[in-house]
Amino acid sequence: MPRAFLLTLSAVLVFVVVVHLCWVPVGPGFAEVWRMVAALFGGANGDELDREIVLQLRLPRLLVAVFGGASLGLAGTVMQAAFRNPLASPDVVGTAAGAAFGGAVAIASGFAVASVLAAPIAAMFGSTVVTALVFAFAGTGARFSVAGLLLAGVAMNTLIGALTTFVVTFTVDNYTASSSVLFWLMGGLDAQSWTKALITLIGFVGFGLPLVFRARDLDLLTLQDDTAFSLGLDVAQARRWLLWFACGLTAATVANTGGIAFLGLVVPHLSRLLVGPAHRFLLPASALAGAVVLLAADIVCRNVPIANLRLGVVTSMLGTPYFLFLLRRHRRGEALR
Amino acid sequence: MTLRGRRIEVRHGARVVLAGVDVEVVPGELVLLAGRNGSGKSTLLRVLLGAQRADVGEVQLDGRALATWEPRARARRIAFVPQATETPFEFTGRELVAMARHPHRGSMQPESAADRGAIACSLEVVDALSFCDRPVTTLSGGELRRIAIARALATEAPLLLLDEPTTNLDLEHAVLLCDLLRLLADQGRGLLVAAHDLNLLAPVAHRAVLLHDGLVHASGEPERVLDESNIATVFGVESHAPSSYFPREFKAKR
Repeated sequence: MPRAFLLTLSAVLVFVVVVHLCWVPVGPGFAEVWRMVAALFGGANGDELDREIVLQLRLPRLLVAVFGGASLGLAGTVMQAAFRNPLASPDVVGTAAGAAFGGAVAIASGFAVASVLAAPIAAMFGSTVVTALVFAFAGTGARFSVAGLLLAGVAMNTLIGALTTFVVTFTVDNYTASSSVLFWLMGGLDAQSWTKALITLIGFVGFGLPLVFRARDLDLLTLQDDTAFSLGLDVAQARRWLLWFACGLTAATVANTGGIAFLGLVVPHLSRLLVGPAHRFLLPASALAGAVVLLAADIVCRNVPIANLRLGVVTSMLGTPYFLFLLRRHRRGEALR
Repeated sequence: MTLRGRRIEVRHGARVVLAGVDVEVVPGELVLLAGRNGSGKSTLLRVLLGAQRADVGEVQLDGRALATWEPRARARRIAFVPQATETPFEFTGRELVAMARHPHRGSMQPESAADRGAIACSLEVVDALSFCDRPVTTLSGGELRRIAIARALATEAPLLLLDEPTTNLDLEHAVLLCDLLRLLADQGRGLLVAAHDLNLLAPVAHRAVLLHDGLVHASGEPERVLDESNIATVFGVESHAPSSYFPREFKAKR
């Protein structure tokens, strides 16, 4: 049964990938893209401009969406298991806020104009530092408590949020800078490049694929610490490493996309509804579902006739109602999925 | 295969929880661990499990310091039934029990016939086959407890540490559980059972250990350890044994 859902999800992903590649208000449509792909494999000549658009603009954007969505889905799944809490997500421990802050500093200081890589690198740096601080304050070792970690995360999110706003105030007089900082904070998949696609891909391969070997560790982490320990898991170490993997996944993604980390909360729940909580199915399902959801949100974003509609807004507008729905279920004493 | 704690001392800040406790779990013996709330029963179990370090004293498994055991090797020898259950996610009972096979399997190794056998057998032993395929979030407290016990059994560990296994069980399942614990001991497993339900557990225990003020107040045959004077001292409760020592003898009909 879970296998059937995984297959279905894969098929949906292929479909959404094709739509994402071809369904754009301007530029080559399905027929042109198809001709161009055929040309790549030695068929008739494709149009040179179409080729450029597809290879240099749409393909990197597609790859960032696929691997970024998959990374955020995995990161959320890992965090929910490691926190033994279905409301955890990459936003909670400050990873996303740190990335937003780093990117904002790079853009406001003008480094981002000098090099396209300044924002991603600063974002990754910011998310790593903030995550490390949260872990240091909360402690991930033997005395770990979920409440401590969540509280440290909330506090750090507030502080970093204030610092980010502080940085934004410096850009208010400069229209270009302030609009690009705001666009960054709202998240989006425009202005992707092969370098950025590569960063996302490396994050996914480096931090996401190794999770395959830790599926049962994640299952055990959802139990009480003593029980997991009695079954042979070094709980403190497993939790610390897996949280770092989740942060690596998040950082490599939000470094290129800005604030869309909310996805990491919704996708694991969606996936659990389909394949259940066992991580050998849940991990692939949340990677696939993450890619599908992010692609779908980006398709909406590109095709809705609202100027400057940002992806982060779309994912949050989809995610928040779901989050509230979960809270309501929780209040009624039902189990969270 | 002996689990032995020597002069175990544990402090929580300034409060002394255990002040030098000697305890032993050996195959073939069912030991009842009794004492008031907060007397350190759960702490002692955690120390013996290895989940908590003693401030002073040492725990040895098979003559070797417990902390030096490789976690999975240790998990194949000592199983644990926790007091509280458990996960916010909708695993089925069978999936929870299957986690017990973790110390027996490589990280990518699929479930073997031996794994499936141990899982099915444990589920049958605790009478959980009828509900083990339901999500645990829909189970009653007693059903959850039986799943937790099945999981401990499915590790096939020779030594079991149980933290109040009869809580939340209805009378029939509590009696059945006590019989099962005794049977496991008679089949050669060593069990240490922290419990408040003295009437149910004392008759099946080979030995009782009474914790009081961080020390072993009395240890030995349950009839002697849980006599009127010890119970009065430790629990501050008068006790009478009208006909036999224990007020009523329970026997499950099946």
